[in-house]
Amino acid sequence: MEIWILVAVIALFLLWAIFTYNQLIALKNEVKNAWKQIDVQLKRRHDLIPNLVSVVKGYMEFERETLEKVTSARARAVSTAGLREKVTAENLLSQALSGLFAVIENYPVLKSNENVLQLQEELASTENRIAFARQLYNDLVANFAIRIESFPSNIIASIFSFRKAEYYSIGEIDRSLPVADLSTRTK
Amino acid sequence: MLFLLLLLMYFSVVISIFLGVLFFFPFYFMKTGSLVFWNDPLYIILITGFSLLLAGIHFWFSASGAVQSVMKSLGAIPPDPEDGIHRRLKNIIDEIHVVTGQTRKIGCFVIPSLSMNAIAVADLKGNAAIAITEGLLSRLTRSQTEAVLAHEAYHILSRDCMEATIATSLFGMYAAMLEKLQNLGEEERSGLHPAFFLFWILLKLSQMLSMLISREREYRADAASVRMTRNPVAMAEALHLISRNWRGSGMIGSGLEMLCIINPQENELDESEGFWSTLMSTHPPIRKRIDILLKMVRVSIAELDRKLNSGTQTVNAPSGAAEPLYHVFDLKHKWQGPYALAELAALPWLLPLTWIRSGNDKSVERASENPLINAIFTNRLNTAGKEVSEFRCPSCKQSLSEIPYEKTKVYQCGFCRGVLVDNTKIPRIIARREKECTERIKSLAKAVTTDNQRKIAVKKLKKTEAQLKTLTSCPKCHNPMLRTFYSLAYLIEIDRCGFCNITWFDADELEMLQCIIENRMTATLD
Repeated sequence: MEIWILVAVIALFLLWAIFTYNQLIALKNEVKNAWKQIDVQLKRRHDLIPNLVSVVKGYMEFERETLEKVTSARARAVSTAGLREKVTAENLLSQALSGLFAVIENYPVLKSNENVLQLQEELASTENRIAFARQLYNDLVANFAIRIESFPSNIIASIFSFRKAEYYSIGEIDRSLPVADLSTRTK
Repeated sequence: MLFLLLLLMYFSVVISIFLGVLFFFPFYFMKTGSLVFWNDPLYIILITGFSLLLAGIHFWFSASGAVQSVMKSLGAIPPDPEDGIHRRLKNIIDEIHVVTGQTRKIGCFVIPSLSMNAIAVADLKGNAAIAITEGLLSRLTRSQTEAVLAHEAYHILSRDCMEATIATSLFGMYAAMLEKLQNLGEEERSGLHPAFFLFWILLKLSQMLSMLISREREYRADAASVRMTRNPVAMAEALHLISRNWRGSGMIGSGLEMLCIINPQENELDESEGFWSTLMSTHPPIRKRIDILLKMVRVSIAELDRKLNSGTQTVNAPSGAAEPLYHVFDLKHKWQGPYALAELAALPWLLPLTWIRSGNDKSVERASENPLINAIFTNRLNTAGKEVSEFRCPSCKQSLSEIPYEKTKVYQCGFCRGVLVDNTKIPRIIARREKECTERIKSLAKAVTTDNQRKIAVKKLKKTEAQLKTLTSCPKCHNPMLRTFYSLAYLIEIDRCGFCNITWFDADELEMLQCIIENRMTATLD
């Protein structure tokens, strides 16, 4: 009789362990997928920038420096790997872009150019998508961390050595990014 | 939970109707001799089963295709990818897909109306869609539109909208019928139709449903929108703007109000608080909604008001600065023009080495030397092979060129400046205010409408029949076009083709129409 109770308890424990393990695996992959989504949006931005630069170039003889800053920041962002470096490179790119948009404001010809407007809208949309993808990623990372650290799922997590994912945190510079200004100007 | 309740209510109504019908018309059964059918349990089971089946079928069909039927009833169309503002809408919807992790596919539609409202619909098939009016889309800034769409998207994701959609698709139909019957009744006074009573019951039932749909969900959706866009001010501004304009009452049928961002009908109940109004109304007071949003950023309503008012003033201020015009030296060594920049881009023989003379200072230069014109060649590479349309101007017989106008595309003649507009695009052009209305257009519009009003008055006095004038032929199908007024309220003469659904505006007529509607100008007769 006692043996059966023991067997039942062990079976229940095993079932719970399998269930928890699977949940952790699912969460881990969701986090991974969310990170890939950020990558997709960042790539979108990298692809748009050369278009914008080529359209704007002809008008902005005196703003060589601003354009070069954007181009070099893009080149750096494309080539870097690893989360930390990537975040800083992307932040620099955001900064350079906002500088470029501020300059565009001074050129009435550019402001009324259909191509520039369209590219500006696409970039504004991409900035939003990056921010939103980051939001999703950070939410999922938080969920994952809660599962790993809270009892009793932390037992399974430590046995199979699940590691917490890193947050995509915005640096000090990024907080001053005037994305809202850019988007409100289409009036 | 609400879903089950709805089903139960619906079934009970249908069953009672069936039993009622059988109770009132027992003649058939008397003939067959089974007078005691009431007591036969088999019979009752049969009837119940049959009515349940019928109810189920109706329920399934009305609720499963709700997205399509609601969109159809509103006349909503999918966004036009050629149109700048519609593209923005599509982008924002894609952004929402990113933030929700692509868990739910949300479609988007545009309602060709000047009113300001947005509506979210979801149905049993798993389709979901957000529809937004042209008026709202055109008058809100990007961040405000984001806030509105995030609010609607939350309704879809939280399944609020599903319950509401089912309720409206079940009862909304009866409500619409009842409204029609009421209108008929007032005209003919033909007595109480039996169907009238039936619909009345169903309408009352549907109104009771609003008790179950709580105000809380609007607050929650507002909060979710702020969580997503991180911009409470934009949401507050959007609500403020919507509440001060026409919200689409009359256009959006009753029964759909619980799906809208703001109740299309302005009523006391929505704006008041207390137990009863909280129970009965679907939307909370707008003032309170805005208040909550503004508390997040510590701004008062008065400040918001001031900001928005100053914003509209700067938009309306005329900026002057006419578009430069150019003369071009063509292949046969003759000067052509003047062309605006867009038409210049449409000239197939214009090359970077072509000589041009700008209208302002009369100096002659190569096209490539002018940065504005040089951009044409970059542009031409981007959109190769789509410069000149196959349509020809009805008065000049010249090719029309496609030009951007109020963020959409219209065809314009480079010589007489008339424009050809697709009928579906007219509402959105009227809704948009990017092209400001100049003093010249204003006075012209005043003169034209007054003149037309006088003509109509004279015609009425003489009692002559209005004659259908056909003066021009359609640029598309070459059939004669019909010359009419845009409407009796807006007396601008236009030429319409009934076959192709397009409208020809002579020079300035489109601007005048926009100006009249925007400034609510009316013709005055002395």
